[in-house]
Amino acid sequence: MLRRSILVSCFVAYWLLLFNYESLRAHYLQPLTSRPLPKQALLFPPAGWIMFYQVDPSYGFAEVHGLRSGQSEPIDPHRIFETRNIGYDNIHRNVLVGVLSRSRKPRFCAYLRRKFPEYDGFDVLYGLYPDVVRLPDEVRYQTAYQCR
Amino acid sequence: MPVSPRAWWHRAFLERRPSLSLGLFRLAVAWTVACHMLPSFVQMGDNYLSTAFKEKNFSFFPMFILRLVEVSPDWVVWAFVGLFCASLAAFAAGYYTQRSTVLMTLACYYFYALNSFHIGTLSFDILLVTLVLLCLTNFHGDFFSLDSVGRGKDSSYKRLRPCFLLRLLQLQLALTFFYTGLNKITAGGNWLTGNPYHVLMNYPAIGVVKDFPARGWLAQQPEVSYWLGLACVAFELLLPVALFVPRIRSAAIAMGIAFMVDLWLTLHVPTIFLFLFPPMLLLFIRPERLVAWIETRQARQAEHGRAMLLYDGQCGFCLESVRRLEVLDLFRWVDPLDFHKQPDVAHLHPSLTPERCRSEMVLLEPNGRISGGFDAFRRMSRHAPILWPLVPLLYVPGVPWMGRRIYAWVAAHRYLLHRSRRCGTNQCALPTAGNGKS
Repeated sequence: MLRRSILVSCFVAYWLLLFNYESLRAHYLQPLTSRPLPKQALLFPPAGWIMFYQVDPSYGFAEVHGLRSGQSEPIDPHRIFETRNIGYDNIHRNVLVGVLSRSRKPRFCAYLRRKFPEYDGFDVLYGLYPDVVRLPDEVRYQTAYQCR
Repeated sequence: MPVSPRAWWHRAFLERRPSLSLGLFRLAVAWTVACHMLPSFVQMGDNYLSTAFKEKNFSFFPMFILRLVEVSPDWVVWAFVGLFCASLAAFAAGYYTQRSTVLMTLACYYFYALNSFHIGTLSFDILLVTLVLLCLTNFHGDFFSLDSVGRGKDSSYKRLRPCFLLRLLQLQLALTFFYTGLNKITAGGNWLTGNPYHVLMNYPAIGVVKDFPARGWLAQQPEVSYWLGLACVAFELLLPVALFVPRIRSAAIAMGIAFMVDLWLTLHVPTIFLFLFPPMLLLFIRPERLVAWIETRQARQAEHGRAMLLYDGQCGFCLESVRRLEVLDLFRWVDPLDFHKQPDVAHLHPSLTPERCRSEMVLLEPNGRISGGFDAFRRMSRHAPILWPLVPLLYVPGVPWMGRRIYAWVAAHRYLLHRSRRCGTNQCALPTAGNGKS
């Protein structure tokens, strides 16, 4: 019984230390020590508990346009990623913005070609609302990459 | 009276307390995991197979794991789908609870490593922390589980376990709330210096905010939005404290649940927030109070009269089944009686005969209603919480027909279904075989 209590106590102390360390590491301990600190693999988010911690007036998003006979038409993001989550919509969580990085171009282009064989090519656009409060109707687009 | 640190630590983490809250929490976790993971399996080609668009979480997984998982052929992916579904079902039912928890968690990690694009969210990281904690023990299989039915102890709802797991889950919730609030006002968070709530209300239609009734009005009210934002932060910082103050705990739990429902109604946040956090808040209800509530209901049931279940006490299979039934019958609605020990069964109900009692179990309810065999089981299932999910199924047309036939076959062969040597040749089917329990 005593041995089990010691084991449990050691685990509880370790877990609480780890939990607090990982919660504080990215935004508090690293700036304090001015060096990168090790992260516990396979557990805890990399930057701590940062749900909606910083919300800027600018809003970036991704749009995919399909090209057919020289004409460009936007593709509904719900058709691109058809997974329907229960109780929420991942497209509204801006999941599509993850495709914008150029390093993802080869895999995403291959995915689009498989998914939409009816199109000759695709333009992946980066859209930006510079200020959703002051300029709610202004959207700036630029091409992130093209799939030809 | 001052408490020594050692006594405080013992009370906080080592004290043996009823584990039934963890059993109920297991059901919530199973539901949450199912709701988060299963939809991603509907589009296997988009999400996990070789044709999928995949994203890796390099900050979470070591590179060697990502490489190992990346080379999975499609059949391995399908095998993990099978493993996940089987372990999830076992986990939900509390069957080999610890092993099923480990396997289910392993499958969750596999799919997360394979593609974090859809399932990888901050709330999923919280869920994984919870699952890892649950992997440590089988305490969450003590109650409301097939494991508890298998053990056959009718007091499983008050089984005592060291409370460290319960306490760590409580602390996980409290600390998550606290650090979420703290990050909003320090560490680059702009909830004091800016007006994030107002910005969110003005997000474009494709953004994360749902189109709820007051949204348009709030989008025009920067002042109100600012103070609402600060109220959210204050709530996140204060709730963890309130949860540990006994006097205001009930209100804190209710407000915490309302906060989560509000989040889910207004934002496209994963349902983990709705399905996991409120049950985690309910873990703050003292398990002793739940045990007391169950025992109060049992006492009330005894006052109002219990149903009688007449069974064959000379059949080992029946005795074993009754033992398990007593575990299922949480509120002690049924009083099992060996009909061999009743001098005159007709005295209990005019329509009862020893022959009927010998051919099937008979349920005699306090209101005089009598039923037997499959119908008796169906009646009892309405009073046994663990069987509630089965109740609608038992009334589906065709199921009673099949159930009665299966029951009749089992009843006819009941002496062959148990391990007692004495009854191995069906000898104790004879009414003269004695009245003692086999």
